[in-house]
Amino acid sequence: MNKFFVSFLAFVFSFSLHAQGFKVSSSGEKTFDFTDKGKRNQASFFSTTPLEDITGLTNDVNGKVSLKVNDIKSLKGELSVSTASIKTGIDLRDEHLRDENWLDATKYPNIKFTLKEVSDVKQLADNRLQIKFSGDFTLKGVTKEISGDATLTYLVESEQTKQRAPGDLLGVQAKFKVNLSDFGIKNQIIGQKVAEVVDVSVNMVGSSSSK
Amino acid sequence: MKIKMNRNQIIVNLIALSFIVIIISYWIIQGAEIFTKTKILVDKTSELDKMLGVKNEVWVDKFILGLDYSIFAIAIIVAITILINYILKTKRKESL
Repeated sequence: MNKFFVSFLAFVFSFSLHAQGFKVSSSGEKTFDFTDKGKRNQASFFSTTPLEDITGLTNDVNGKVSLKVNDIKSLKGELSVSTASIKTGIDLRDEHLRDENWLDATKYPNIKFTLKEVSDVKQLADNRLQIKFSGDFTLKGVTKEISGDATLTYLVESEQTKQRAPGDLLGVQAKFKVNLSDFGIKNQIIGQKVAEVVDVSVNMVGSSSSK
Repeated sequence: MKIKMNRNQIIVNLIALSFIVIIISYWIIQGAEIFTKTKILVDKTSELDKMLGVKNEVWVDKFILGLDYSIFAIAIIVAITILINYILKTKRKESL
């Protein structure tokens, strides 16, 4: 009876350890480069207050991630956006955003994110996974750990994907929240015209290069 | 108190009122934004983007009149109208 119970537990345990990943024809370790000459990748923030909604968006997203195709928890990588490239639709406001009271683009030219951990993996389709992630977010020289949700979609190279870039494609849609005061961004406008916590979202596509 | 206006003053006031109505209408048509914008986000999501579960938006130059510029323009129109009304009223008195 005990042997049966131990075997059963071992079976359940081994099943739970089974790597979750994309069920596609590609395999092995892949590195995806998110540098897009066409500037189609984007990172944006959204701030909402009773007075005003502000969307800031940049198409200047760079970085690389690597993963084992059949094991999403192996996902690691680093992404960055150039601070000065963020636009809000109003030129004067963009200038304010770049100055030292806000993002201080001269002193801190890049906003970075380093992925550390993937958890709560849900298989939405053979080539689509929903995950929770955490990592180090660096804004205005301050690094804090943040976590968020992401949906990853894998497309194996085809005639259609080649229109975008050679190699397999990885689509990433990620969302997380940023508390501005955590990163030393404090002034009188926050809480009135700009929300204390802004929603950040990333929509980007990376193409693989064989490793 | 009854305000008496001559024909020229009435014409000037009607023209000013028309400009104000046009500005307010244009502001409403453009989305009744509080702040004037010089760029708008345009959705460029392709079929491949949809397959990859991402969206693609880009900034495109476009002038969107906001309440700030609208109020400024209306204030200038009102100021000019008051000035013209004063000038026309003065002339009317001189002609008497």
